[in-house]
Amino acid sequence: MKKRLLAMLLAGAMMFGLAACGNSDEGSTQTPAGENTPAGTEETGGETKTVKVGLICIGDENDQGYTYNFIRGKDAVTEKLAEKGINVEWSVKWNIGEDSSCEEANLELAEEGCQLIINNSFGFEPYMLKVAPDYPEIEFIACTNQASWCDDLENTHNAFANIYEGRYLAGIVAGMKMQEMIDNGEITADQAVIGYVGAYSFAEVISGFTAYYLGAKSVCPSVTMKVQFVGSWSDATLEGNAAQALCDAGCIMISQHSDNTTPATAAQNAGVFHTGYNNDMISVAEDASLIGTRIDWSVYFEYAIEAVANGESFDQDWCHGMDEGAVVMTPLNEAIAAEGTAEKLAEVEEQIRSGELQVFDTSTFTVDGAELTTCLALDTDGDFVADSEEAVFDGAFHESYFQSAPYFTVEIDGIEWLNSAFG
Amino acid sequence: MHEQHSPLIRLAKRDAMPRGQVWAIRGASFVAAILISALIFLLMGHSPLEGYGTMLSGALGKPTAVRQTVRIAIPLLGTALAIAPCFKMRFWNIGAEGQITAGAVGASYFALFWADRLPVPVLLVVMALAGAIFGGLWALVPAFFKARWGTNETLFTLMMNYIMIGVVKWLQGGPWEGRPGSQIIPQFDSAAVLPKVLGVHCGWIIVLVMTVAVFIYMKYTKQGYEIAVIGESENTARYAGMSVGKIIMRTMFLSGAMAGLVGFIVASGADNTLHSGVAAGVGFTAITVAWLAQLNPFAMIAISMLLGVLEKGADTLQTRLEVPASISDIITGIFLFCMLGCEFFINYRLIFRGGHKEVAGK
Repeated sequence: MKKRLLAMLLAGAMMFGLAACGNSDEGSTQTPAGENTPAGTEETGGETKTVKVGLICIGDENDQGYTYNFIRGKDAVTEKLAEKGINVEWSVKWNIGEDSSCEEANLELAEEGCQLIINNSFGFEPYMLKVAPDYPEIEFIACTNQASWCDDLENTHNAFANIYEGRYLAGIVAGMKMQEMIDNGEITADQAVIGYVGAYSFAEVISGFTAYYLGAKSVCPSVTMKVQFVGSWSDATLEGNAAQALCDAGCIMISQHSDNTTPATAAQNAGVFHTGYNNDMISVAEDASLIGTRIDWSVYFEYAIEAVANGESFDQDWCHGMDEGAVVMTPLNEAIAAEGTAEKLAEVEEQIRSGELQVFDTSTFTVDGAELTTCLALDTDGDFVADSEEAVFDGAFHESYFQSAPYFTVEIDGIEWLNSAFG
Repeated sequence: MHEQHSPLIRLAKRDAMPRGQVWAIRGASFVAAILISALIFLLMGHSPLEGYGTMLSGALGKPTAVRQTVRIAIPLLGTALAIAPCFKMRFWNIGAEGQITAGAVGASYFALFWADRLPVPVLLVVMALAGAIFGGLWALVPAFFKARWGTNETLFTLMMNYIMIGVVKWLQGGPWEGRPGSQIIPQFDSAAVLPKVLGVHCGWIIVLVMTVAVFIYMKYTKQGYEIAVIGESENTARYAGMSVGKIIMRTMFLSGAMAGLVGFIVASGADNTLHSGVAAGVGFTAITVAWLAQLNPFAMIAISMLLGVLEKGADTLQTRLEVPASISDIITGIFLFCMLGCEFFINYRLIFRGGHKEVAGK
């Protein structure tokens, strides 16, 4: 009995050993083919410059949303810069929390010799700022945050894109669809109600859905909007439930500022329409999703990395939109979009690009029945109440003008906050 | 006949094993962990030597790396010390996570609202005391229920974790929120930040002092003795005239207070703010540290440093060799599994069916 057992164990061990060897061969052949193998792969030409870049991500590419969009930017810029003779070596840290583990990640990448370190989440900035002073020769970037203009450090940067421009265009697509339904008699004018799934009542979110609403209103004057905050940047179930609740409350168009695709599928199940964010959502909801918008981070990455490669300095606070292609629309779902949408999109995009059209034109909306005439943009004393820089001038509210991070937090008429300030 | 009744493998409790043999088993299990992890490296297409080299140099190769490793070890050591008296008493406190968080809340209150009203040393002492008291009171709740009504402390302390983490989430989005909508509590004033000694926040001095204090308390005081007696047998303790309920509550308060102090150290020294993940799983990992160290405070220093090296090393592994983060978790897991598993073979032995002469020969 004992012998048989021993034999079985031995056989098992041998099989395991063989399997391990087989796999190890496979593994070793795979690695050199990896898309971002460090060193070793330097071009033969003597011209090639190599920049070592660290990227710290709050999630990983599986989220198909926020972090995935950064990874797309990373891959695109690696290709673009390779053509310019700049070889980018990436070191990526996944699933880092907005706590001291972010400080450790910044330290680790700095010690590994990265020349540029990119932090992709808003909450990373305070931890990045603890490491940045000790490494003056390394450039640090905190995406979507805002401290670089007041932290007295030369090597810290902020970046964002005018995503509200993309929101405005997505709003136009939604508005045209609803206007078409009104014109066809499918709904009455007052049934044109948008439901918006928001993460938090945070400036970035408020700025986004207001732009979206104004876009819709510019082509469908009777539209109104309901906003439901879910209290999370990424919670697939909550987002889906919020979208479902909005559909039940009579919304016929769903949009979102949250990471998952569940609002799109909820809209499809309820037989209403949807516009997305961060990613093309047509593949998950082809009968509902009209269009989406996202930031193309490769534009900024190219600007920053090229500057580092050439030893030049670059802007501490960078914010561009359609003017530089930093905000892009995902493909339009021509099968269900209203007629003439593509033409209208091209026209308005050109107007935004040239500066002819202001998204937050104060003549297009009211606050408590009156036109918005004054609104401060920046908080300089740290109490989180804006106290300087008048954002309303030349007939428009100038979003992301004084700093890259959005600061539009006005509640305008026509948008109903279902659970007002969440949290 | 006999063959059918006896199972294939039986377990038997071992008599006390000679010291040398115990350490031989521990050494062997460590070697086993190294060999199994080497297989993982091979599977990922890296040489095990390169892998271990990267881990070691990443964790201890440079002064900055050593500092990072120590920063990981500090809360682990502090929390292992905190739960040791409870475990000695066979009171299964798995609520250190919540007690750390409670302590961090207490300390943060003073850091956020009293920073400009108190001189620096006083502020830090008040924060530490508030952390200890909050953590202690949070631990006292399950202890009271256990002493009074005999409730199950394992479930109770576990559930208390989630309540406290929920409280912090509420604070983050509600009364203590910084920029509206951000869900982030502002960074503390520099007055409320633990000063650095040798490049690491001085929490390391606090936990080392705690180590000595816990050692003396457990070994040389009457209260420590009472804890040991209750751990051996509650009835003996009762027969000897000890008030078991009182001792349980006292020990739990002390344990929670130490965990709360760790919460203060993490919030003030490492994060400089309060957030719902302030305990970061330390409350659970510390259980492993305490067990591996056999509840010996000085052994805990070594074990928490070892875990620090593993974690920091795994981090560097991810950066340099570009292995997925989950691979580093797997390697840490293999080490813990082997090291904890070997204690089983020290306490028990396996008897194979027919393996014994008296059975086989009948």
